[in-house]
Amino acid sequence: MQESNIRNFSIIAHIDHGKSTLADRILEITNAVSKREMKDQLLDSMDIERERGITIKLNTVKLNYTYNNKEYILNLIDTPGHVDFSYEVSRSLAACEGAILVVDAHQGIEAQTLANLYLAMQNDLTIIPVINKIDLPNADIPKVTKELHDVLGFKEEEIVLCSGKTGEGVKELLDAVVERIPAPKIDVDAPTRALIYDSYFDSYKGVVLLVKVVDGIINVKDKIKMMATGKVFDVTEVGVKTPKEELLDNLSSGSVGFIAGSIKDISSVHVGDTITTLNKEASTPLDGYERMKPMVFSGIYPVDASKYEQLKEALEKLKLNDASLTFEPVTSDALGFGFHIGFLGLLHAEIITTRLEREFNLDIVVTSPTVVYQVYLTDKRVLIVDNPNKMPTREKILKIEEPYIYTNIIAPSSYVGSIMELCQNKRGIYKSIDYINDTRVNIHYELPLSEVVYDFYDKLKSRTNGYASFDYELIGYMESNLVKMDILLNGEKIDALSMIVHKDIAYEKGRSITKKLKEVIPRQMFQVSIQASIGSKIIAREDISAMKKNVLAKCYGGDVSRKKKLLEAQKEGKKRMKMVGRVEVPSEAFLSILGSDD
Amino acid sequence: MKNVSGVYIHIPFCKSICTYCDFCKVLYQDKWAIAYLKKLKEEILDRYMKDDIKTIYIGGGTPSCLSLKELKYLLELTNIFKKDNLQEFTFECNIEDINKELLLLLKEYHVNRLSIGIESFDEENLLLMHRNNNYQDTLNKIKLIRELGFNNINLDLIYALPKEKLSTVKKDLKLLLKLNPEHISTYSLMIEDNTFLSYKKINNIPEELDYEMYEYICNKLKKKGYIHYEVSNFSKEGYESIHNLGYWNNSEYYGFGCGASGYIDNIRYDNTRSLSNYLKGMISSSEVLLSKDDLMEYELILGLRKIEGINLQEFYNKYHVNMQDRFPIKPLIKNRDLVYKDGYVKINPKKIYVMNEILLKLV
Repeated sequence: MQESNIRNFSIIAHIDHGKSTLADRILEITNAVSKREMKDQLLDSMDIERERGITIKLNTVKLNYTYNNKEYILNLIDTPGHVDFSYEVSRSLAACEGAILVVDAHQGIEAQTLANLYLAMQNDLTIIPVINKIDLPNADIPKVTKELHDVLGFKEEEIVLCSGKTGEGVKELLDAVVERIPAPKIDVDAPTRALIYDSYFDSYKGVVLLVKVVDGIINVKDKIKMMATGKVFDVTEVGVKTPKEELLDNLSSGSVGFIAGSIKDISSVHVGDTITTLNKEASTPLDGYERMKPMVFSGIYPVDASKYEQLKEALEKLKLNDASLTFEPVTSDALGFGFHIGFLGLLHAEIITTRLEREFNLDIVVTSPTVVYQVYLTDKRVLIVDNPNKMPTREKILKIEEPYIYTNIIAPSSYVGSIMELCQNKRGIYKSIDYINDTRVNIHYELPLSEVVYDFYDKLKSRTNGYASFDYELIGYMESNLVKMDILLNGEKIDALSMIVHKDIAYEKGRSITKKLKEVIPRQMFQVSIQASIGSKIIAREDISAMKKNVLAKCYGGDVSRKKKLLEAQKEGKKRMKMVGRVEVPSEAFLSILGSDD
Repeated sequence: MKNVSGVYIHIPFCKSICTYCDFCKVLYQDKWAIAYLKKLKEEILDRYMKDDIKTIYIGGGTPSCLSLKELKYLLELTNIFKKDNLQEFTFECNIEDINKELLLLLKEYHVNRLSIGIESFDEENLLLMHRNNNYQDTLNKIKLIRELGFNNINLDLIYALPKEKLSTVKKDLKLLLKLNPEHISTYSLMIEDNTFLSYKKINNIPEELDYEMYEYICNKLKKKGYIHYEVSNFSKEGYESIHNLGYWNNSEYYGFGCGASGYIDNIRYDNTRSLSNYLKGMISSSEVLLSKDDLMEYELILGLRKIEGINLQEFYNKYHVNMQDRFPIKPLIKNRDLVYKDGYVKINPKKIYVMNEILLKLV
């Protein structure tokens, strides 16, 4: 293999800037898939990705491309666009030498364009700026070119113009990939080192590892060792995706592909670990990449307690291909045995819960997300609290600090007032406004993360008719006047509903949550009181009156089987209920307390 | 010969369509009526197994909207049945269809019970239901019925209509009682899918008010000497509907006609609800063979509709299983959802209106 013919690259873009369509076109131009096999958004293989038009999981394809009569191998490593998944982005980027930065010819630079670009720059990647969708009737190439120049510092001649939809400029883009992105450094003779950047479970092959081989060579039948865990496996298969699987005899330095080794034990594999071979063992592992810490925690419980083991297995399998997922067992008085799970953000939480329900067919209860607090105790200790129920009583607390973020909110300048109002409501601290051009601004605030994980993004979108984009970085901890608020049903505290809130808004929050719960908890055969309390003090109360009617008024010969069906439907509905004391609470009640105010 | 004693015959024709009705019905047209009755005859001849019939119920739709000639043809069909021991023969009528000729014809064929859909006397209610009624006219018709010797009359009343107040129910019931019927069926309005009311996105009244109306009706009728014997049914002593009790006792019965349901040989079947399919002879829509477990479940959910409840000994005689071994009734007796008395298990009378909630704990 010649040194200079491999190029490893990613495409990074803000959501909706046409990354998947551009990738489709690249696959088509390089003949990776025939027209016949083409279906839209080929790299987005999960149903949930296609449905929502987002990319969550990275996928890799090997492409053949001829440039100046020379054959090149282009490894395209797909990346997600959403802020929650910057962890996945950084994993993809760790396997690359360059990245294509896609910007929509009409919308221009957005918040995630910036976030992803900074990640790429941290990884020392060569960036090719691309203005996409130039076929749009409202494309404004001079404006976007100016933004790329003024805000990001690209030179005009660096920028490639293309349309993923029509294919215009895509060939020029691939030429630029070959010309500008450096070939990986190749050393086939060095001790073997390969970076695991992803993995998944295949019921026939066991754990499949996606790797970038940096040094040396990995052959079928080699014995490989996971450098972090020390576990050794026999390689049974290696190959690449084109995007169909293509089996090879080996993967050598510079290439990206997959390895299977009849690995059954999920825990012996860590994404980010380095693989070496026993016959040419390396002494030091590769630098992994920045490990993202979970920012948001939720409890997940099976509705049916006997499904606990199934939930555990499902989480283990998900973790295999979503290394950012962390979980540990937890017990709740109200909900029984479950898991306390760490997520990167609220979308991540939503994706995981949806996958648990769809792919593993589990009925689950998800509790409201909480961030990680630093609690300074009177005895000088510092406690890390990621679960409201672990919050010590008030007299033991000196102060509580909560995580803050620094925002990039990019929007048309006409929405500045509305956005600032929203940030103010969310306890934001105004920092500055940057002008991207005459009509668009980047608004910087410092906001408590806890205010963002609830419904900030939805509110931002609705206030700006969808024109605002949002990204953030964690900037550290600041002191806040926080209290633990409990929810009681018929006088009994429901641990799964406890939350940490700012004292100034606790009353308001208590009122809106009890009200919300009143809406979602159906009437029972007895009256139910819902109370919010801080310590022993009740701050809000709502009552659900006893059920007065659940009867089929009319039931004769013709209705008999309908009556049975009605009962069966009602029974099915009950299955989604969790018994909390004597009260039947629907699973969604535990999450419904989120979108509660304004 | 089997032991099926009930016959239901469905007549799917109406002169106008009520806004709440989701039964099988079409606007009356004479060319369809005749073709329909012929098919009905075929179906009866095909299905009827010479059982000794004790109750016949002709319902609809509006059976009384047929012409006299068609009615004669229909009633003649009932002579196919062996009815030496016929106890009850009910015919459903609209009040405006009632006249002397009709009544005499019914009399001739041994109809001995009339079921009349009054539903309400309130203008606003009637407008909303797309029905007609006039108290004076009703009074005259009832008088005529009595004069011709019918002594078993059921009147239907619908309550809990949108915007209806308790005072309207009181007024309706007062007028109804003046007519002195032997039997009263009162239904809380159900807004079913595919009805005019559901298209108009009409909502149910608050359940507190609904229950208040129900409670009022129960108390009032009790005071007036009526026996509350099923969730929605009241009668003077000895005038319980034998035919309908058959349904709640989980007994087998024939169902003939478009949209009819029947229950024969442990099979519950539904006929097609499409008139054109029925006329083409594609009669059956579904058949479900019930397991012993299904049978016991039906026995439970139907039997508990009766105010007296289910007799444990009879349950055992039928299934050779103790009801308390099959269903978790003991804890529910303990928490007063169910009441056990004199060999019967019944829904706590205070909880009749939430009986589904209780059944859900049992099945």
